[in-house]
Amino acid sequence: MPLYRNTRRFCFLIIPILFFLVWSCKSGTETKKSDSISQSHKPDTLSFLIQFDGSLFPLPSPYQVAQLVKSHNIPFNEAILNNPRNTKRYNTNFKKALNFGVYGTNLSYLNIYNRTPESITYLNVLKHLSEELGISPAFDIQFFSNIEKNITNQDSLLVLLSSSYRKADGFLRENDRNEVGSLILAGGWIESLYLLTTIAQSTSNRDVINRVGEQKHPLDNLIEVLSPLYYKSADYTALIDKLIDLAYEFDGIIYSYSYKEPKIDEANKIIYINSQSRVIMSEYHLDIISQKVEDLRKLVVE
Amino acid sequence: MITHYLTMNKKLFAVALVIISVFIFSQKANAQLLQLQNICSLYFAPDFISDGQEYFAPLKPDQKAEFTTTFFGDNTYRIVACTNLKHSNVVFSVFDTEKNLLFTNTAYDYTPYWDFKFSSTVTCIIQVDVKSAKFVPGHIMLLIGYKP
Repeated sequence: MPLYRNTRRFCFLIIPILFFLVWSCKSGTETKKSDSISQSHKPDTLSFLIQFDGSLFPLPSPYQVAQLVKSHNIPFNEAILNNPRNTKRYNTNFKKALNFGVYGTNLSYLNIYNRTPESITYLNVLKHLSEELGISPAFDIQFFSNIEKNITNQDSLLVLLSSSYRKADGFLRENDRNEVGSLILAGGWIESLYLLTTIAQSTSNRDVINRVGEQKHPLDNLIEVLSPLYYKSADYTALIDKLIDLAYEFDGIIYSYSYKEPKIDEANKIIYINSQSRVIMSEYHLDIISQKVEDLRKLVVE
Repeated sequence: MITHYLTMNKKLFAVALVIISVFIFSQKANAQLLQLQNICSLYFAPDFISDGQEYFAPLKPDQKAEFTTTFFGDNTYRIVACTNLKHSNVVFSVFDTEKNLLFTNTAYDYTPYWDFKFSSTVTCIIQVDVKSAKFVPGHIMLLIGYKP
């Protein structure tokens, strides 16, 4: 009898707990639903703005990089992309996450140049890697169905892709898997820089060379983001060592900056920032940075 | 024996209370962040592309949140700063790395969003703070987007 009474009391306590658990799960789903609805209206890019320990880390968006390249009428070059067949080589989460970022940048490049058939191949690669990395909720059936419907619409594709990258990042953050997020970020940045240096070398375009030189601060931030993971494994150590080595080369670039008073257009809420910066990058530095970026990229994709 | 059962029940009750409290607080916090996210997103015009994720920072007494970021030349960016605190104004100020003040919204009725047209690449420090009569725990959110 006492046991029965105790069980009844226990049930009395358990029922509210179960109620809260069910309510919590349900409202969590609703939150996610409303989140995905609001995100579907929000434009985004494949870029990342990652924050670790109070540092904000905006990458030059891979889309911005591709846009810069295309604006100079530089022809499309498929050879600089990571071959989709390489996915078979990526056996660890470390490699999968890095190359998820790499293929995302490749997809931006393909998208800007309206390469639809290749884009589909790269989308499938991303789908495969997202499943392997356990971030497939961000690349679900609905996502691929929407992509199919909008495959020829450059802007829609961009919004859909970026929205899914954002969902993936949110998913990783919610599940305390920030290291995967930072590797995706690193892979995307390395590939963007690889595209820039390869194109800078082949075209000697001053704007592209300057954009390479302007990567010093984003690189410093990337190192800051990855540093806590330095001793996580030999892979992390090798990657961070290479990034630090690259940062030393960026120290050799001359930067000049002169402040000029901004102009404020209050009616239109626009501030014209007139300060001027200049990057002076020698051919020697471009060569050595390009070489180191190529080595770094090899470490990532091979 | 009865005393033992009563003690056990008290313990179970305490555990249940803790679990329920944790769920209530986590739901409340999530709802607040979602609300903040929705408010901040309203200031993003469709022609701006968010250049990253949504950045949340918890408010601390007498402490400003500070972010360093590079804005690339020939681009127009939108900066949006919001808080989930009622009756509070978000102050956001943009400095260059030499600490020259490029802009602060204090003189413009604390308007939460402004567009910045950069003629040249500039690394900036964005400081975000909340003006309120007394400190109340809350969050601030920052969004940066660019015009393609």
